[in-house]
Amino acid sequence: MSKAKRIVRIAGLVTTVVGIGAVLVGVLPAPATLAQSTIKVQDPTSVVMIVNRDSNDISFMDIKTKKIVGRTFLGNNVNPHMVMMSPDGRYVVTGGTRANKAYIIDSRTLDLVKIIPTDIAPEHLAFSPDSRWYYQGNPDGDSISVIDMQSLSKIKTIPGFAEPLNITFTADGSKAYVGNYGAHWVGVIDVRRHELLKKIQVADVPGVAKLDPARYLGEIKGINIAAPSVDGRFLYAADSDLGVVGVIDTRTDKVVKVIRVGKDPWRIYMNHDGKYAITANNGDETISIIDLRRNEVVATLEAGPDMTGINFAGGKAFVISSTSGFVYVYNMSSLRPAGRIRLGTNIQLETATTDTADEKLYLAESTTNEIVIIDAKTEAVERVGNVGLYPWGTHIMDSKDNYCH
Amino acid sequence: MNFSENKKRLPAYCLVAALSLLALPPTGSAQSNPAAGTQTAAAQGTPTQLQERIRELERELAQLTAAVAAPPVAQAAPQQQSRPATAQAAPAGAQQPPMQMPMPPAATGPLNPENTPPDSTDPQALLDRIKLLEQRLRDIESSAVLSEPETRVRKVDVYVDQDGNQFDQPTPGAKKTVTYQRERVFRRQTINEKIEEAMADAAEHNVEVGVDAGVVFQFAHRTKGEPTPADGHAYELVSADVFFTAGIAQNTLFFADIVGLSGPNPEGEMLVRTLVNGYSARLVEQNSISLREAWLRTELFGQRLAVTAGRLDLTNYFDHNMVANDETTQFLSDALVNNPALGLSENGVGLSLVFDAKNGLNFKAGFQQSSSTATSLSDSIFSLAEVGYLARPFGLSEGNYRAWYRVDNSGGTGYATGYGASIDQKIRQGVTLFGRYGASQAEVKRDHFYSGGVQFDNGMGFFPSDVWGVGYGQNDFQIGGKERLVECYYRFNLTERLNLSFHMSYFLELLEGGERLGYLVPGVRLQASF
Repeated sequence: MSKAKRIVRIAGLVTTVVGIGAVLVGVLPAPATLAQSTIKVQDPTSVVMIVNRDSNDISFMDIKTKKIVGRTFLGNNVNPHMVMMSPDGRYVVTGGTRANKAYIIDSRTLDLVKIIPTDIAPEHLAFSPDSRWYYQGNPDGDSISVIDMQSLSKIKTIPGFAEPLNITFTADGSKAYVGNYGAHWVGVIDVRRHELLKKIQVADVPGVAKLDPARYLGEIKGINIAAPSVDGRFLYAADSDLGVVGVIDTRTDKVVKVIRVGKDPWRIYMNHDGKYAITANNGDETISIIDLRRNEVVATLEAGPDMTGINFAGGKAFVISSTSGFVYVYNMSSLRPAGRIRLGTNIQLETATTDTADEKLYLAESTTNEIVIIDAKTEAVERVGNVGLYPWGTHIMDSKDNYCH
Repeated sequence: MNFSENKKRLPAYCLVAALSLLALPPTGSAQSNPAAGTQTAAAQGTPTQLQERIRELERELAQLTAAVAAPPVAQAAPQQQSRPATAQAAPAGAQQPPMQMPMPPAATGPLNPENTPPDSTDPQALLDRIKLLEQRLRDIESSAVLSEPETRVRKVDVYVDQDGNQFDQPTPGAKKTVTYQRERVFRRQTINEKIEEAMADAAEHNVEVGVDAGVVFQFAHRTKGEPTPADGHAYELVSADVFFTAGIAQNTLFFADIVGLSGPNPEGEMLVRTLVNGYSARLVEQNSISLREAWLRTELFGQRLAVTAGRLDLTNYFDHNMVANDETTQFLSDALVNNPALGLSENGVGLSLVFDAKNGLNFKAGFQQSSSTATSLSDSIFSLAEVGYLARPFGLSEGNYRAWYRVDNSGGTGYATGYGASIDQKIRQGVTLFGRYGASQAEVKRDHFYSGGVQFDNGMGFFPSDVWGVGYGQNDFQIGGKERLVECYYRFNLTERLNLSFHMSYFLELLEGGERLGYLVPGVRLQASF
């Protein structure tokens, strides 16, 4: 073969390869495009997560379009309780109360990526600020399951609690505080070692308790959560049986003040401006508004029965009265009642989250399987149906009102 | 044997040890024990035998599961899958019935949630599987649950045409209507939850009965004036209220309060113008059972308007006060419980309207007959109207401000009028001031009434739930003299249902002739409500 022929043949071969390559590049999608086709949620802050207790799934509703963009089924009889997104936005997690497992969902594809056995009846949960640790409270197991979000595995079960409900991490992630509903103390966990460091009793049980065994021995209703102030310096822990809020200094882990509130405070909720906090007192159907600068109750106002949550938006507080079908509204400037929003009769309201702009509430209504969207300014109501069976709670990433009941 | 020679068999030994421990009744004993494992492994043998043992364990576990949770979930699933055949009867809306939810892979089951291959011979897989079985056994032992699908009734919107065909979605020729329908869902509940639900449901449909009983001992000591019978005498009044409450329709309530009073009243011997013991206020008969109240209440217009009709005590609706309105827990003297200018002497039939939009402003109106000897509803009728406002003046805590106006024909000489105000204002946490003013038409001009005082609570006493207060009342009658009274009390909240309080009252009667009569009245009240 002559040199010229060889050159022509090589040129032809190169041309053919390049041509075929060009055709393939033009016809086949790029790898990135392939991956995108499986992504259901581009921006984790753009969705409301809805935990559906009876359909055993997590629904994802786009905030703008109000459409359900995806659902993640967890398994029959899982009965998830609370849903939360990791601070880095990578994962969505929930505890399956009746499956005794934690479920980890990819927040973009909405695929269930891992099921991790926990202790008994996992309910409330929290993430460390760096997203590394997922603490799952197990009220019936009296323990906290520690899940490493890097290896997606349970590394430890911290025992020694009494019906642990909500967990609060400090801003630096060094400590976590656990509200014990089956006791009158807050547990402090050393997050580096994942060990229960100490127990902080929020208040003394009154001496007359021995005269009232029906109240103090029949069933204990202790601390739901140690909620942090906006600056993180103090924790506020309401104790239902004692009718008080204990103020804990996070630097010394000591109770610096005990504030008496109404009867049977379910828990405390922090206003977003850091000035006030509110307890929902189900025993006397009132709310107590606490001035956080003075650590004093500045107003006790009438509310409704069976309160399950309080949200703050548009300069107002919205108090959810679960069995009455009303949301009670309070002006947070004047600290006066501002009416109530009637959402229906014979319905069961659950809990709500507030969007990051503090404009709208997303309230789960379990009787009609709806999410009720309340505009905080106008108090107009919009309903999104068929979100799943028995929606129990909602969650928006970075919302200041992410809680559960 | 050294470790290297037996490293392949060691997991099997551990496995056997775990299995042997798993067979022990207490869950807590299911910790692996290498020593025991080694001994047992020598006797037990190969992974094949281990697999057989696991299968046995699984069978036992299945039997245990079936015993505590019947029918099992596996039986429930076909029921739900059959639901599409009855799509007409499904709840309205596009919600997929729960049984249509995607099922996990076939190999995954309640006994094998991690989908471990059943025929795996990998010792680590077998160990993992044992761990899972242990966990599941512990779960079952710790919290036995009902696994049958939860059944509940829902209100649903459906569309029905002229032929009675029912559709879930809007259909031409079909009319939207509301119906009720059962649905079943995968909700696993503990036995405790089911029992609590059943008890709450039963309580909701039953008549609630409550008791409010009080025993009041009082002693009268004359300090000024001419001798009267009430000097050095003791009195005891016993009161028992039995009340019945029943929800009879949507937002509609029936209430009845039957009261029995027994014992001598101090005012029977004391020459005072107002009642020393408010327990006997607006009640006529002693030592007998009487009907204090019996009414029906319903709420209309989005529950903003409450309408109450029947035998009423209008002081329960008008002239409220947060800290001076209840003789069973606060002041005993009737002048510090209600405004004498209201003029109501007895309970009777009537009607009350309360409009409250829960924005701090409320309006009330009502009428009530206040005579047991009236021959028609036109006699002795008191008509009242009130406006109330919740305010936070000067940056203080909340305060309630009320003003009322009254018209009545109880005097038999046409209509008489009265008006008044009632205020309670929290100064700070645990400290509440109160005040009342009233004026009522008398034969000459008007009688005037003033009262005021303070209540301390919220940890301002010996014990956190104790309450104490001091009150002053002044009656300026146009005819028959004037009255001044002071009362202080301390209430120990012994239990949620039991209170013990100590009272000290002083009555000063300024008679028309310039005479003065003074009484010091110490008292003890034991009050129980349940």
